[in-house]
Amino acid sequence: MSKLIVGLIGAFVIVLTILAFSSLYTVSETQQALVLQFGEPIGTPIQEPGLHVKSPLIQEVRYYDRRVLDLDPPAERVILADQKPLWVDAFVRYKIIDPLRFFQTVQTESRLRDRLGQIVNASVRSTLGSATLSTVLSNERASLMAEIRGLVSVESTRFGIAVVDVRIRRADLPEETSQAVYQRMRSERNREAAEFRAQGFERAQRVISTADREATVLRAEAEREAQILRGEGDGQKTKILAEAYSKDEEFFRFYKSMSAYTEALGSKNTTMVLTPDSDFFKYFNTLPSSAEGD
Amino acid sequence: MPWSNQGGSGGSGGPWGSGPGGGPTPPNLDDVLRQGQDRLRAILPGGLGGGRGLTLILIGVAILWAASGFYRVQPDEQGVALVFGEWTSDPETTGPGLHWNYPWPVGEALTPSVETINSIEIGYNSIGKGRGGRTAARTNDVPEESLMLTGDQNIIDIDFSVQWKVRNAGLFLFNIRDPAATVKVAAESAMREVIGQIDIQPALTEAREQVQQDTQVLLQQMLDTYEAGIEITQVQLQDVQPPKAVIDAFDDVQRALQDRDRLQLEADAYRNDIIPRARGEAVQLVQNASAYREKVINEAQGDSSRFLSVYREYVVAKTVTIQRMYLETMSALLKDTEKMVIDSGAEGQLNPIPYLALPELNKAIDRGAAKTGREATQ
Repeated sequence: MSKLIVGLIGAFVIVLTILAFSSLYTVSETQQALVLQFGEPIGTPIQEPGLHVKSPLIQEVRYYDRRVLDLDPPAERVILADQKPLWVDAFVRYKIIDPLRFFQTVQTESRLRDRLGQIVNASVRSTLGSATLSTVLSNERASLMAEIRGLVSVESTRFGIAVVDVRIRRADLPEETSQAVYQRMRSERNREAAEFRAQGFERAQRVISTADREATVLRAEAEREAQILRGEGDGQKTKILAEAYSKDEEFFRFYKSMSAYTEALGSKNTTMVLTPDSDFFKYFNTLPSSAEGD
Repeated sequence: MPWSNQGGSGGSGGPWGSGPGGGPTPPNLDDVLRQGQDRLRAILPGGLGGGRGLTLILIGVAILWAASGFYRVQPDEQGVALVFGEWTSDPETTGPGLHWNYPWPVGEALTPSVETINSIEIGYNSIGKGRGGRTAARTNDVPEESLMLTGDQNIIDIDFSVQWKVRNAGLFLFNIRDPAATVKVAAESAMREVIGQIDIQPALTEAREQVQQDTQVLLQQMLDTYEAGIEITQVQLQDVQPPKAVIDAFDDVQRALQDRDRLQLEADAYRNDIIPRARGEAVQLVQNASAYREKVINEAQGDSSRFLSVYREYVVAKTVTIQRMYLETMSALLKDTEKMVIDSGAEGQLNPIPYLALPELNKAIDRGAAKTGREATQ
């Protein structure tokens, strides 16, 4: 009898424990929860973390993340307003703010990802479709992203989420356009290199020709000075000699003739044919008259 | 079990663990247990069997369970204590030291490090990190991350790293899913936004510092918008280069710059060579001329004074001097020269006998040109 009582009490305790466990649940700091009764949401979503109570067995709890969630849809090829194609990779950060609406519209995060990804792509296309590449690559990029964010925000409120941020992660040119860009970059660099080399040549030529000119001028100036000096010398000489020789022109002629004869005829290979009539031979044939008379 | 749903991040330890971050078991645990048992024995003396033993075991287990609620917070950590998944002391964190929270399965203690610097590599992957994780043995390029458009629609290859740490443990743990991935995409977005606004040339050279700063500021703003509780300590450009496809052209520009400098230096060398030489030559010319001038003047002065000296004496005895000078000159002249004296014969008549200039002829034969003596007669 007492064994039966103990058994009943034991069974009761076990059932009680199971009931307690199935009626208590915790919601952590990172979570929010929705209580479902036979698949239907009951009451307001639980957004306070801690220990909570529900009806056992007939109610189940659906947990949703309360944190900022990430979505990184695959890159999309977008044609810009200036017809340039661009691979745009956008990413979204969002929060589930209304789990009830979230449950009613998409239920699970993976389904939301599909829907939200489409919205993001559509918003990116429509926004960038009216922008040029130079706009995307400018400080207007931020306002373009704000525009995309606005569009995505409006579209996604029906899912019970709040878009924290939508940003363009990458905006790259497709491969074929990249090649064209590389080609252009190469041409630009070649142009630059050619210019640098030509500048080098120009500067070198400038330095060399300036140096040549300076050297020539230096020599010419020296030449001029030299001629002036020589002229001065010649002038002085002329003046000095003229002063001396003009004392007696006749004597100068005689004096100069004598030294000129010596200089001009004094060499050994001169042959002189003389007649005894010259003054030099005045006494060669005849004695002076005084001696003759003796 | 509902308990297993708690806490997405950081698995809770078993009953004997003390949560992630793992503070060691308090050292006096055994003592506490033993003292407790002693006290129990004192309260319940005597050798009562099964019932009392069971009670002792239950009490011991309860004490052990309570003791497992101790957790230690290291100096670089912040402690976050949760009760049924709720951060009870929000936003207070516990500081370094030993703390107690309800043990599992009621409570949980998380101790994220707030000093550890985490690093994210963008545009490259280090393979085989060196000691301290700073120096990578080699790196793998990740072109889809590193190639980006610059403001002047060129493409640039940028590898950079982002260092971050936890600023607010609560936000970091509970407000953002996969914080590291978020930092990475946000950093890529920020870098591309910054690079998209400057031209390639400054990006490659002088604007690097600016790019780092702007990216860091922008990235921090983004993460603050997400309330991620993350602080960006540094954005560091590792390698900024033109894309591989055009790097040779860029290198050629550098070579062209070198060529330019080289040509200029060579020209300078040429100038430095010829200008002093020309100066030297110029000085030589002037000096030569100067020497000539002095020489000529001095010679003239010499000639002049010689003449004047002779003249002074000539004035005293004109005829004699003339005669003497004439004769002296002639004798000196005729002494060394070959000479032939021919009588003029009848006065005024041309000498009928032609002179055969034999010595001249000999010389002329030598020279191969005959000469007649006619020219020598007078």
